[in-house]
Amino acid sequence: MTSTISPPSGPAQKHGPRAGKAPATPEAAESPRPRSTLRSRLGALDVKASPYLYVAPFFILFALVGLFPLVYTFVVSINDWDLLSGAGEWVGLENYAAELTDPYFWNSLFNTFSIFLLSAVPQLIAATFIAALLDQNLRAKTFWRMGVLLPYVVTPVAVTLIFSSAFDEKYGLINNLLQMLDIDPVGWKSEVLPSHLAIASMVNWRWTGYNALILLAAMQAVPRDLHESASLDGAGALRRFVSITLPGIRPTMIFVIITATVGGLQIFTEPKLFNPSSSTLGGPNREYQTTVLYLWDLAFNRGDFGKASAVAWLLFLIIIGVGLINFFISRSIASADAKHHAKPGRAARRAARERKSRRAHEPAARHSAAHDSKEDPS
Amino acid sequence: MKFSRHTRTAAAVAGAAAFALLAVGCSTGASSAEPASSDNPVTLTVTTFGTMGLDDLYKQYESEHPGITIEATNIDTGGNALTDWKTKQAAGSGLADVQAVEEGWLGQVMAVSDAFTDLGQHGAADIKDRWVSWKMDQATDPEGRVIGYGTDIGPVGLCYNKDLFKEAGLPTDRAEVASLLGGDNSTWADYFETGKKYKEATGKAWYDQSGFVWNSMVNQLPEGYYRADGTLDVEGNAALAERWGELAGGAAAGLSAGQTQWDWGKGKAFVDGSFATFVCPGWMLGVVQGQVEAAGGNADSGWDFADVFPGGATNWGGTFLTVPTQSKHPAEAAELAAWLTDAKAQVAAFQAAGTFPSVTAAQGDPGVTGSNALSKFFNDAPVGEILASRAEGVKAQYKGPNDSVIQEQVFGPATIALDKGTDGTTAWNDALATLKNLDLK
Repeated sequence: MTSTISPPSGPAQKHGPRAGKAPATPEAAESPRPRSTLRSRLGALDVKASPYLYVAPFFILFALVGLFPLVYTFVVSINDWDLLSGAGEWVGLENYAAELTDPYFWNSLFNTFSIFLLSAVPQLIAATFIAALLDQNLRAKTFWRMGVLLPYVVTPVAVTLIFSSAFDEKYGLINNLLQMLDIDPVGWKSEVLPSHLAIASMVNWRWTGYNALILLAAMQAVPRDLHESASLDGAGALRRFVSITLPGIRPTMIFVIITATVGGLQIFTEPKLFNPSSSTLGGPNREYQTTVLYLWDLAFNRGDFGKASAVAWLLFLIIIGVGLINFFISRSIASADAKHHAKPGRAARRAARERKSRRAHEPAARHSAAHDSKEDPS
Repeated sequence: MKFSRHTRTAAAVAGAAAFALLAVGCSTGASSAEPASSDNPVTLTVTTFGTMGLDDLYKQYESEHPGITIEATNIDTGGNALTDWKTKQAAGSGLADVQAVEEGWLGQVMAVSDAFTDLGQHGAADIKDRWVSWKMDQATDPEGRVIGYGTDIGPVGLCYNKDLFKEAGLPTDRAEVASLLGGDNSTWADYFETGKKYKEATGKAWYDQSGFVWNSMVNQLPEGYYRADGTLDVEGNAALAERWGELAGGAAAGLSAGQTQWDWGKGKAFVDGSFATFVCPGWMLGVVQGQVEAAGGNADSGWDFADVFPGGATNWGGTFLTVPTQSKHPAEAAELAAWLTDAKAQVAAFQAAGTFPSVTAAQGDPGVTGSNALSKFFNDAPVGEILASRAEGVKAQYKGPNDSVIQEQVFGPATIALDKGTDGTTAWNDALATLKNLDLK
């Protein structure tokens, strides 16, 4: 691909862009129409087609188990479709209109977001601090790290059965303890806020350790010398955590937040099994009926497949919406990050300033640094 | 980059291959033309739920019918079994060859009755006189197709705890208890009045929760949530409203223990004196025994069974064995269903689980009327005889398509509200509002 591409002259011009692929022998260059051999055609095909072929399995699978159900659900949602007797009349967007005015739909959205916030916020805060603890020089590190992951290994069904028993209103462990302390028993399975707290506690139990490990991995990637120089400069453990660790794990934090959001908006197992004997799914008066649970109830108890599909699509759109919000927030944070890199961050600037002034004022800097690090073992 | 023609062809070929693979995967297994024998082995699947007492019968059938293998699945509760059936019915595959169907879902089942094999083509006419006539009528669709063979029926009597009755100074003998509650002419007013006396004497609740009492009150009416012509009739239904008032009065007087149904604190409520009476259809006797035993109790826990029920004879529940059209071996499945519901099998099922036979010959069988493990648990009460007596005069009530949804989602929360102290009118109006929101037909 060298000489033939150089300034157009004579026959090479006719080959146009394909000239590069023709054999660069003098004979071929002189021939007015080089016939491409089968081999070269196959080669060209290989270059062009192979990448698609390699990624095709994913897309074929996605089309079968992702795209097809998505489209099919939409088709169902614009029909009056009974679970058992099948497709009825075409009703356009009527199912969507009915759901958007259905109090139970909005109730389920409120419950979903409430449980999501009650679980995600404390969970991420706790996970960050557990990760920070695990990031210290502990004895038997692996033991502790595996320990926080243990709840994640247990299936959600088992977790829910155990919590469900503990939160039982009349015979549960928690209400029994409360009564021993002369506190009125709490309606864990029949009141809105207590039931949300109970379900959030199951989610937290399962996911805190998992998120802590992911954050721990991110923390370990934060350069140690940053910590060292900061501690040399007299920054305490908390100061270093806030100014070095937290900014350092920001991208991972965003990832964890996004996965927690998607998971949180699709919560099903915990509310489904929290009170399995309840005649209405999600509490006697739908106190903790989440949107997925509501959808399931519509489809499999009430048999209204059309409306259930409409709810599925609405939930899909909501999750996309929340995902976009996440994306824009994380992008603005990322661009803020870029600025920080262009200009040294506030903390770094201050550290640098302090370093300079110390060097100027204290000739015995080394001694002082050694002293500092003794005071503040890390 | 654009798709070249070649890639498109390749994608099409790959896609077609994938679909072909799927199609092949789905189409294995042929239907059997010749009857099962040891040369032509047939595997039949059976799905049941709750405690139906059929488990020991499968082996016997297998040994009597060489070539047949039975794979049985039992689902824990009727509600879960309904979900299972609906999902597989909607998917068009996965149902068992012999599928148990509960009376409470008959409305939904009958809406798709053509999804079940007409047992009339497999000899139903020859054996139809086995059953009490109303059981057979329930399983016959408007076109006269028989879609199921009856297993048990649910005549309802009253379980009571004689130790608690004694504490309250009430009679403990089951005949005296029956007459205390009005005998053959027992009314709900009698039941609640006696309950108030019990409450005064002991300070404890009379029944476990309002839900089961309400279910039996509704089942007892000639027409329940639906008129016999299939139209919904809840709002403005005077008979329902009147009974609701009685129930609300009982709850307001503190007669309900406000227990969680199907949970009862894992059975503890049955042994700690939380309540003294319990609504007991035949199949519930096995449930009571299970709950008591789960909480560490036994025959000495004081439970007994009286031949009386407020408001008169009623039926709650009962099951049918059906053969879905999805079955590849309908003839063999129908034969198994017929065998599992004959008198001998129903006697065995009754002894195992207390499911009261729907076959008349079995109802009078000494195995049912005599003593067995269940009757020993209930203080040697002649359980079979009592249930036979409770079955007299039962009429089948029409179950509409959403009967079970109304029972669970409309009146489930409303009865819980009663137990928590909501007054009857508010709870009734809330129930009507829920019914409207659910937009049921």
